[in-house]
Amino acid sequence: MTAVVRRRALNLRRHGWSIGVWLLLAVLIGWYVLLIPRFGSFQIASIIKNSLPLVYLAIGQAVIVITGGIDLGAGAMLVLANSASATLMQDQPFLVTILIGFGIILGAAALNGFVGWIINVSRVPDIVVTLATSFIYSGLALMILPGPGGGTSAGFRILFTGSDDGTGTSFGFSLGMLLVPVVIAAFFMRRSRTGLSLYATGSDLNAAYLSGVDIRRAKVIGYAFGGAMAGLAGLATVAITGSGDPRFSIGANATLNSVAAIVLGGVALTGGIGSVVGAVAAAIIVFFLSPILSAMGIDPNTAQVVQGSLIVVVMMIAGLLALRRRRAK
Amino acid sequence: MTVADLPGVRRQAASMRLLADHPLWILGGVLVVLIAITGAIRPSYLSFSGLRNTVLLAAPLGIMAAAQTLLMLTGGIDLSVAMVATGAAYVAGNRSPSGALIAIASGLLVGLIAGATNGIGVGIFQVNPLIMTLAMAAILLGLFTSWAQTIFTGSTTVAPLIKTLGGGSFFGNRVPYNALIWVGVALVVMWLLKRTGLGRITYAIGDNPIAARLSGVRVWQVHLVLYTLAGLLAALAGILIAGRTGAVDLQLASTFLLPSVAAAVIGGTSIFGGVGSYSGTILGALILSVLNSMLTFLNVGQAIQQVVYGLIVLLLAWLYAKVTTER
Repeated sequence: MTAVVRRRALNLRRHGWSIGVWLLLAVLIGWYVLLIPRFGSFQIASIIKNSLPLVYLAIGQAVIVITGGIDLGAGAMLVLANSASATLMQDQPFLVTILIGFGIILGAAALNGFVGWIINVSRVPDIVVTLATSFIYSGLALMILPGPGGGTSAGFRILFTGSDDGTGTSFGFSLGMLLVPVVIAAFFMRRSRTGLSLYATGSDLNAAYLSGVDIRRAKVIGYAFGGAMAGLAGLATVAITGSGDPRFSIGANATLNSVAAIVLGGVALTGGIGSVVGAVAAAIIVFFLSPILSAMGIDPNTAQVVQGSLIVVVMMIAGLLALRRRRAK
Repeated sequence: MTVADLPGVRRQAASMRLLADHPLWILGGVLVVLIAITGAIRPSYLSFSGLRNTVLLAAPLGIMAAAQTLLMLTGGIDLSVAMVATGAAYVAGNRSPSGALIAIASGLLVGLIAGATNGIGVGIFQVNPLIMTLAMAAILLGLFTSWAQTIFTGSTTVAPLIKTLGGGSFFGNRVPYNALIWVGVALVVMWLLKRTGLGRITYAIGDNPIAARLSGVRVWQVHLVLYTLAGLLAALAGILIAGRTGAVDLQLASTFLLPSVAAAVIGGTSIFGGVGSYSGTILGALILSVLNSMLTFLNVGQAIQQVVYGLIVLLLAWLYAKVTTER
């Protein structure tokens, strides 16, 4: 009997943060529905499709951080994939754009996997290596596409947004593109041997090594997976905006949001703790704050201040809770 | 006779050991080589005015990297330095009509407030420094973008004294004033780290925060002081950058963020805390500034510049890690 109670308490503590994040998202959605005069399929479609890039980026960042790393080049990879796809896909038929899309995801995975290999071999901290790659990726993006431009096929835009000009009311496709990668990533991390080896590596490098986990392979796989998700985020961006944009600041901002999202989602920056699903909920929250604040009639600059302050306040509450828990022990 | 007994190998190992004990020599060597290469590309670079331009760029970077070094030694990081610098410069520009000293003081006040807020978040509320300072950068950007249209609508050029401090030079136009300020900052930071209790505690916290706490260090107070100091240093760097360009805008210092971290890392400060020194960071800042001049002279365009910059930062960090783990 007591064992069951203790088990329940443990489960609540383990999933408490995740549950809190989902509740917060539900409250925000409810608030948004009350705020705006009309809440229909157009709003739903707009929110789902516009949150896709950050959701993908947060999944990738979560996998990398759970493995014990951090990718400050994730946003730059998004910009690189966005620029490359917009350049290659312009005036191409649908089937060709799909092939290019797969090629870009594979290329992004290979490139970022190579970064993981460099971290293994050089023993330079992840944060430094990926800071350098953020420069390299955005430089490459500028080489491929010197200024905003490029395009993609109508079919490719429908795949991510449900309409050929990115402004429709049907959200079936967007919802599918949201759920499929989340489910794949969640199953990969929780159910597959490899995914568990990533958790083991991030949780305790030495213990993982001593129990026979190939920690170098785990790092490369984690970074390759993160790269693939950042590549997918770049593809979603080209589908939503219909063009490519190589500006450095877009990547820097996206990286910041992805790190904020995973920490808010309960992924510990020390590695080994957290889940993909929690990170996804937090990514939607981080994205969702801007339409809510604009529905409240707050201008974008103030909205940015509020968004930043909210993240800090939430993290402060988390810090205080952790402190109290430690004192109570 | 094994391989290690061969005289050549042994000598090589000894020299590697020597370099591992004095990693700053490598950085000095890299700096000399880079200056030589830049001189080969553009012979006029090897003159007082050529090197002066590099120092003009290196001084604000070095001061900003001092903030980064102090925090990285505790295991923290400040990703808001560029935005704090920009905000301080913007306020200084706006206050310039009421006199240079008031302008500088109001600029430094921005750094004080932002830095102290970071310190409260990290020290008292235990927010992860990465998140705290990222959010601070976003908050400052939002605040200043809206304030630029409401309360700071006045001057966007800085007072003559700030221009002199940030861009002028003396001694027959050879030594920039901002280098003098940098030397002052460097002496204070090195004294702080090497000779004071605060410096020793800074290393102790970065090396083992739990041991530091258990031995009676009030960790939160140290964080508060260091983050505030970092804010002030970033603000000072921002005012000097504004003095060099003469005018302020909200993109002023944004290109300095990654180099400020890179300078500390290249200089051998561990991002996990406890290991490093400001003298290494000074060499790191100089190396990055020479590299910047070199890439500008090569005139290869921004895209290739960024790729080469990233590759060289990576290679230098790799080289440093390789040499210091030989030991």
